[in-house]
Amino acid sequence: MAKKSDANKVVVKTKTTWKRAWKRDWQLYLLLLFPLAMVIIFNYAAYPGLRMVFMDYKPAKGYDGSEWVGLATFVKIFKDADFHRALKSSIAFNLMDLLIGFPMPIILALMLNELRYPRFKKVTQTILYLPHFLSWVIIGSVAYTMFRTSSGLVNIALMNAGLIEQGINFLGEKWHWAVTYLLVGVWQGMGWGTIIYLAAITGISGELYEAAMIDGAGRWKRMWHITLPGIKSTVVTLLIMNLGRIMGSNFERLDQFGNTQVRDFQYQLAIYIYDKGLSGGKYSMATAVGLFQSIVGLILVLLADKVAKKLGEDGLL
Amino acid sequence: MKKNTLQKVLATAMVGAMAMGTLTGCGSGENTPASNDTPASASQESGSQTQEGGDTAAVPGIEGYTAFADQVTLTIPVYDRGKEGVPAIGTGDNYWEGWLQENFGDKYNIKLEFEPIARGGVLEAYNLLASAEDLPTFLMEYDYPKQAQWVADGFLTTYDLEEFAFIAPTYYQRMVDLNQIQYTTMNDETYFVLAERPYYNTNYTFITWVRMDWLKQVGYDHIPANRAEYVDAMTKIQNAGICAHPAGGSMTTGTAGMDQNYAFRDYPTNEEEWAMYGDYAIPALGWEPNKKLLKEANENYNLGFTDPDFYTIDAATAEANFINGQAYQYSAYISADMPVLKSFYENNPDAELAILVQNNVADTDYGTVPAFRSNNPFGMMIGFSSQATEDEIKAAMMYMEWCTQPENLLTFQWGFEGEHYTLDENGLPVGIADYSGDKVQGFNNNKDYWCVTIEARNAGTIEDMIKASSPKGLPQDFTDDIIENYYQQVAAWEKGWVPTDCMFATDIPAVGEYQGALLTLYAELRDALVMCDPAKFDALYEESAKKYADAGYSEIAQQRLDALKNGLSSRMK
Repeated sequence: MAKKSDANKVVVKTKTTWKRAWKRDWQLYLLLLFPLAMVIIFNYAAYPGLRMVFMDYKPAKGYDGSEWVGLATFVKIFKDADFHRALKSSIAFNLMDLLIGFPMPIILALMLNELRYPRFKKVTQTILYLPHFLSWVIIGSVAYTMFRTSSGLVNIALMNAGLIEQGINFLGEKWHWAVTYLLVGVWQGMGWGTIIYLAAITGISGELYEAAMIDGAGRWKRMWHITLPGIKSTVVTLLIMNLGRIMGSNFERLDQFGNTQVRDFQYQLAIYIYDKGLSGGKYSMATAVGLFQSIVGLILVLLADKVAKKLGEDGLL
Repeated sequence: MKKNTLQKVLATAMVGAMAMGTLTGCGSGENTPASNDTPASASQESGSQTQEGGDTAAVPGIEGYTAFADQVTLTIPVYDRGKEGVPAIGTGDNYWEGWLQENFGDKYNIKLEFEPIARGGVLEAYNLLASAEDLPTFLMEYDYPKQAQWVADGFLTTYDLEEFAFIAPTYYQRMVDLNQIQYTTMNDETYFVLAERPYYNTNYTFITWVRMDWLKQVGYDHIPANRAEYVDAMTKIQNAGICAHPAGGSMTTGTAGMDQNYAFRDYPTNEEEWAMYGDYAIPALGWEPNKKLLKEANENYNLGFTDPDFYTIDAATAEANFINGQAYQYSAYISADMPVLKSFYENNPDAELAILVQNNVADTDYGTVPAFRSNNPFGMMIGFSSQATEDEIKAAMMYMEWCTQPENLLTFQWGFEGEHYTLDENGLPVGIADYSGDKVQGFNNNKDYWCVTIEARNAGTIEDMIKASSPKGLPQDFTDDIIENYYQQVAAWEKGWVPTDCMFATDIPAVGEYQGALLTLYAELRDALVMCDPAKFDALYEESAKKYADAGYSEIAQQRLDALKNGLSSRMK
């Protein structure tokens, strides 16, 4: 009898083993191999190469033949006036980029979320995403043509409208250049930046909005009290990640917008690495600056994470 | 196929493709064919009396070549100038690369590979290749300092000149005849092979065209012959509303060769100054001739001759400005087919151009002489890669000798008779403009390939050569003026106004250390000087010169001077 009742028992296997998971989702795991390989090869496999920062690395001599110089490369860099100039500009521009560029996708995502006509919303989103897919070479070339002092479309339009009498030197005077450079950066990146925020907004329960509407909350109130708090953790996460990039700079963007008259501002770490490191074959120097950027970026991320946690947020780590 | 199966197949295929794509970038740059490491003696066929991989007991030169027993890979660097309308380099879709493989490579069991080298970033390109242990079999450059840098960095290996003379006797004998052997060494070791540069003491292929119709409109029947006439003519062109900024202008490139100051020097020049500041690789900010040059550029800018946006105008835009009738002059290397000039005449059908022929009268009032830089007495400097095997270097020497043979060079430079050229009554080739078949030559008639042996297409006398390469199919014919310009340049050479730069037989370490940064800094400082208030020019120049000297230029000058004093450089002629 007892045997019979055992036989009738339905055994429900609840524990997911690796074998079972693999059998069920092997295609997904295979697909995961690709990004994993990318990370291992490009982010970790290159680590042993970092030892060149302690060497006077010569490509033809390799690691074995190059002279070990200890911290001499770092000393040389930190004594270099051009490095200080590049560092100053990098920090200043990245902070401004953060200040202007970071809130823009949030504002834009909030605005897009309020659009009610789906087709218009989709078209608007597509138009806003497009600049992200243009290379900086194209953007730089178009910008130089459009913003030229005497023959640029923008200056001609402003003069014809009677707003200015003389062409504005948008890209040839360093302060004008700074504003133009930053705004073009915002224009290029803000549409694409909205994607994560829009995704986060879709996670907010519709019931909250309904309840708020019943309570008489208007659009601004709903945005302020429901949408923004709903995406707060995403905002904090992205802010921490962006702080990690405060020492970085985009070589293509700087190179395409550069000219001899704006060197004071355009000479940032990416240009420094290229000019002094790569173009002269000084890979030790280029790597040392890159390592310095990464370490400072890591410290900033850790600090920001700690601050966020102290303020009651989830943080990143 | 079931949906589930299809998904599995697709997923597997995608993963495979992505993994392959990722991993292809991770290969080693090492030469894989084991045969390449085979010593020359081991690759000889037993009993062969002919030369294989440079058997010194065999027949010298091309007569003695036989195929390598095991295939050897020869990687040839080719300048990639980013020009449209010419076949791509090293992609397999290039008739002339196939022609070389078929007529040279296959014959001697040599696999030819072609490495594109971006012309605007030669040092970067070779540095990256060296890091990847993927240097071409030989390295080519026109500039002595770059080659010196490669020696210092260990990119090049020494070679045996006697062995070269045996494998490439025609090439070697030409080097002897042209007195080039003196340039083959660096630090007393033999590193370089020198290609020929015919008529090196002139720049007859580089021509400046000016708007003669504009000059006529403002009362000139000739091209301004001195500074006073130039300023007068440009001012009149502006005042007549013909062109707002006739001198045009474009951004400084930040590369070697910018702001050449030969016209502003004293002749004969002080030898020590010539050695310290006289080369064209790094502009001599702080030297009096450079100051005079920049002062003139400053005057041109402040008179409005130069486009105020010049520092944002790239070379292509400057070219377009000339085509659109917004610039007085245009300079370029001549060739039978010149699309810029064709476009110019299409846009300006009534325009008349004239060539700026060398005028050998010193402008004593202004203090300049019609001087210009002589080229080096050789074309390409060729060094062999330290990463290449012995067999590969021998294959490179064989290739150089093969390219030097007149029958091979004729086809390489001119193409095929009836397709690319016809023969005139004197039996000399005359290029056919607008060739559009499947055998399109590389930029400038394949020059970036055959420059391994010579720097210009040879076809009879200098006049024949100019006739062959002067622009064709235009409303105006400039041949006679280009010939005249050549003879006037020769006359300038005879007057001592065409100096050759100092060449150092030793590495100048400060050049490698500071050159890149100095070129960038110079572009920044000189543009500020060009655009400053003329009253502030002198003070700003002093300040800029100090900054430039502190950034490494004074160290370079000192090391050059030491080399001169130690007898490790050429002497001023």
